[in-house]
Amino acid sequence: MTSRSACAAAVLLLAGAAPSYALTIEYALDRADALVACDRMLYRGAQPEAQACYRNLVAGSADTRIKADAARALGDVRSANSFFQAAIKEYPEDAALRTRWGELFVATHSNQQAVQLFEEALEIDATYAPAKLGLAVIAAGQFEEKTREWAQQVIDEAPEQALVAHLLLARAALEDGAIEAGDEALDEALELAEEHDLTPLQIYAFKAAVDLLRGTTASPWTQRALTLNPRYGDAYAIPAHFYVITRRYREAIELLTKAVEIEPDLYAAHIELGINLLRENRLADAQRHLMIAYEGDRFSAPLVNTLRLIDSFDNFVVTEHPARPAPPGSNAAPNPGVIMRLHKDESAVLGLYVKELVDRTIETYSKRYGFTLKQPVIVELYPDHDDFAVRIAGLPGIGLLGVTFGYLVAMDSPTGRADEDFHWGTTLWHEMAHVFTLEATNHLVPRWFSEGISVYEEWSTGPLPGRHIPVPVLAAIREDKFLPIAELDRGFIRPTYEAQVIVSYMQAGLICEYIAGRYGQTALEGMLDGFAAGKDTAEVVTAVLGISPGQFDEGFAAYVETELGPTTAQLEPWQEKQAELGETIEAGDSRLIVAKAAEAIALFPDYVDGGSAYLAKAGAHRDLGETALSTATLLEYRRRGGHDPDALFTLARALTLAGRNDEAIDAYKDLLMVAPLRSGVHLEFGDLLSSAGRPREALLEYQALLAMNPQDLAEAHYRLAKTYVALEDRAKGREHLLYALEIAPHYREAQQLLLEVVR
Amino acid sequence: MSARASAVVALALCVTALGVTTPAEAELFYLIVGGLGGEAAYAEQFDKDTAALAAVARRTTAGNRVTLLNGEAATAEALEMALDSLRTRTKAADSLVVMLVGHGSYDGESYKLNLPGPDIDGAQFAELLGKVPARSQLVVNATSASGAVLETWAAEGRTVITATRSGFERNATRFAQHFAGALAAGSADINKNGAITAQEAFDYASRLVADSFARDGALATEHPQIKGGAPTRFTVARLAGPPPEAAPASPEVVALRAERDRLDTEIEALRGRRDSMASDAYLAELQRLLVQLAEVQGKIDAAQPRPQQ
Repeated sequence: MTSRSACAAAVLLLAGAAPSYALTIEYALDRADALVACDRMLYRGAQPEAQACYRNLVAGSADTRIKADAARALGDVRSANSFFQAAIKEYPEDAALRTRWGELFVATHSNQQAVQLFEEALEIDATYAPAKLGLAVIAAGQFEEKTREWAQQVIDEAPEQALVAHLLLARAALEDGAIEAGDEALDEALELAEEHDLTPLQIYAFKAAVDLLRGTTASPWTQRALTLNPRYGDAYAIPAHFYVITRRYREAIELLTKAVEIEPDLYAAHIELGINLLRENRLADAQRHLMIAYEGDRFSAPLVNTLRLIDSFDNFVVTEHPARPAPPGSNAAPNPGVIMRLHKDESAVLGLYVKELVDRTIETYSKRYGFTLKQPVIVELYPDHDDFAVRIAGLPGIGLLGVTFGYLVAMDSPTGRADEDFHWGTTLWHEMAHVFTLEATNHLVPRWFSEGISVYEEWSTGPLPGRHIPVPVLAAIREDKFLPIAELDRGFIRPTYEAQVIVSYMQAGLICEYIAGRYGQTALEGMLDGFAAGKDTAEVVTAVLGISPGQFDEGFAAYVETELGPTTAQLEPWQEKQAELGETIEAGDSRLIVAKAAEAIALFPDYVDGGSAYLAKAGAHRDLGETALSTATLLEYRRRGGHDPDALFTLARALTLAGRNDEAIDAYKDLLMVAPLRSGVHLEFGDLLSSAGRPREALLEYQALLAMNPQDLAEAHYRLAKTYVALEDRAKGREHLLYALEIAPHYREAQQLLLEVVR
Repeated sequence: MSARASAVVALALCVTALGVTTPAEAELFYLIVGGLGGEAAYAEQFDKDTAALAAVARRTTAGNRVTLLNGEAATAEALEMALDSLRTRTKAADSLVVMLVGHGSYDGESYKLNLPGPDIDGAQFAELLGKVPARSQLVVNATSASGAVLETWAAEGRTVITATRSGFERNATRFAQHFAGALAAGSADINKNGAITAQEAFDYASRLVADSFARDGALATEHPQIKGGAPTRFTVARLAGPPPEAAPASPEVVALRAERDRLDTEIEALRGRRDSMASDAYLAELQRLLVQLAEVQGKIDAAQPRPQQ
């Protein structure tokens, strides 16, 4: 029987558990009366009495199932687990017992074991509502659409037991921004609570969340909950969840702080508080709350991972660049200052480029959106993707490239991913746009608009030229899968098909592009103002664009058809040509490769991702000795946003050899946005800039070269020395010459320059 | 600064050893073996690597002291004959460089170099090598699984470089092409004396191997190793022809060289005192010596021009 494996795992996972007394509200109608009596003491905040009550049951009850539940309510998960194991032997066909055990695993973050137990319960009794609700709760924690399916099933099959189902539907609706639907579901829950004399504490907390989402921060529902139980921390922690998912971290911190003040052992709130304090770069406070949580909950993966991440900050270098006001009389934007947290192995090289790019974004976005940043921007780059994933969500294995928490941007560093996949410059450009859209609206901007602006800015002002739409998105457009503008957030938060998140990003980007083109850039600014004023998408569209959301959708659909219709229509023929090209490459006939690649390019000229026909064509031209054609093909590839680092390096070198210095410099700059830590790049680019009479830019490259600790340190110092001398900084030039000659005393070129410098 | 300091420590040895690497009476011999490629792509790459190594060897020493076995000619029998020939041609004062390119194999007990016809096994190869009188030897085994012989081939006076850490790294290697590149690259010559030592070439090639795997986003399947001998003193290639020191010099140049050697010694001693001196004082003294050295070197070069690199 499958339960054997669950039992074995249980022993392993729960060993060493510390007691945890966080309040858990029980809604099962078949809960034993003896337990319900204790529960009621707990719900009214009489914790010592409740604990005494549960202890009596653990010591005196003849029913092992009751002992198990009582131990669990005491927070003694180890004992609870032992009782459950024993009880299962006594009552192997008790669906409720397996469900209760599953709930223990949910509480200790062991969802896999929990799901197994819920499924076993349903094998015993296919209609057992609490088991279905257990599965729904797990799905809700992962923002899965299945939550609604399970919840609806319970409402249909067992309406009397459906309080939790209504709560879950309310939560899902509120997370989607469907406030009315959420509120109605809460009313259903409230009715059931009254009917069955169940505590309404949690429902009140969700009601307070409804008020919060409607803009009422001091909700009477919070007071009602606290009147029932003055130490009910979830009265604040539940509304705080909605601040977190709408990226209003400061407000969430405020509520979570209140939550742990009144319920100090509400460890889930300590974890949330710690993670959100980190998002505000308040490291010491974050660590304090996370350590408190760790004392009470050692099973939370996000908690343990985040504590480990904080420990790893010792390996990072923090550099602070002070604020720089706009020079009087200039039209430059003020710079609020930049703080960079970069890994010590990369800081010296990456810091140069990150700072330069961040400064450019501040200058660009300040002007384009008419908003001045109020405090320094913090930028963190993680060479280990799992560290980044922990930073953004507390759990590794997440596919995002970067995340912005207001003034703090966290992202993968160029070494966090294979470089052909990851254009770090574009990611930083994208994230910095979020800093502006979030802060300009006090974090009230809806997800779709913030992402849309970021994607649109990638395309229009970012370091990677051109609009870049992945093939799965084109396929989705052909299948008419774009959402109405007023519902677009749903595509990000609760996707219903695999590619929907990326489809939603691109749709949002296209919408912003359409608005900017049709209504002007100022319309985007106006929409930001509307969101800052607390309006929703429909209201903002109507107010700023002067049309209804439905009319907007019609206009946008026509725009997409004009812009992308021809490409989507050619998608299948293009895919066939790509397949033929692949076969031709296998056969190795360069002339045929050129011809097939040209056919594929003609059908989809913007395709510059993996397997791009441009690369095949350029390679075939090179093999045929047609250097000029190879270079021309790579130039076109680059112009359309191609950023394979090998191709860019080849292009930069070919242009340098051809004496086309300005174009070569542009190609090198693109290469640095993908692979700034690649060996050879800085030396060659620095040499090119030097020979092009641009010593100040060359200096940056040679500094990066030296920071990479190359094997030929003498050469790096010599190049720096030469450049400093060219910039008439003879003192620095002398210093680097001495360093070069200290390593290689017989370095003739350095010797000669030293004699020139000191004479 | 710590990286620079460590480079200085390693290079101090190189500078001191310049004059003793290949004494006038000693000769440098090369044996380059390009084994079986198997697939066409490997065969092509191995051909390229052996040709590049042979070109470096011929630039560094007389052509008749370079033996190249490649492709079908690289049989075990031919290899045995070549080592036997070196046994009779070399003397104790000579130096020998052996470079093995291609595939190797390791069954957990013995290593084999894959050659047309019967392979040659590692123990047999070591035995033949041991009979060559040249006391200073460098063996670069760039084959897959070459790490299996690192310990057994290392001997007094012999530096062994392998492409892999053990016999269990069995994928085709990238090391040979980067090692060949190192011997031709000015940037491998970190002390800028126009000569590449075994250590310099190893460091350069190892770094490029690691970079190439990192760039591909792939786990490295080879980890080059070096062991034994005096790799910082073993000149394996020259970026230009033989050093001017090999040619007869006037008394004036002899005196200048002596002055240069004295300054080298002073600079080395100063570097040894670096940590105990104030930074400004150290740099001032370093500058004084380096300026003198540059002036002396200028006079030497004027009297006896260097070959073009």
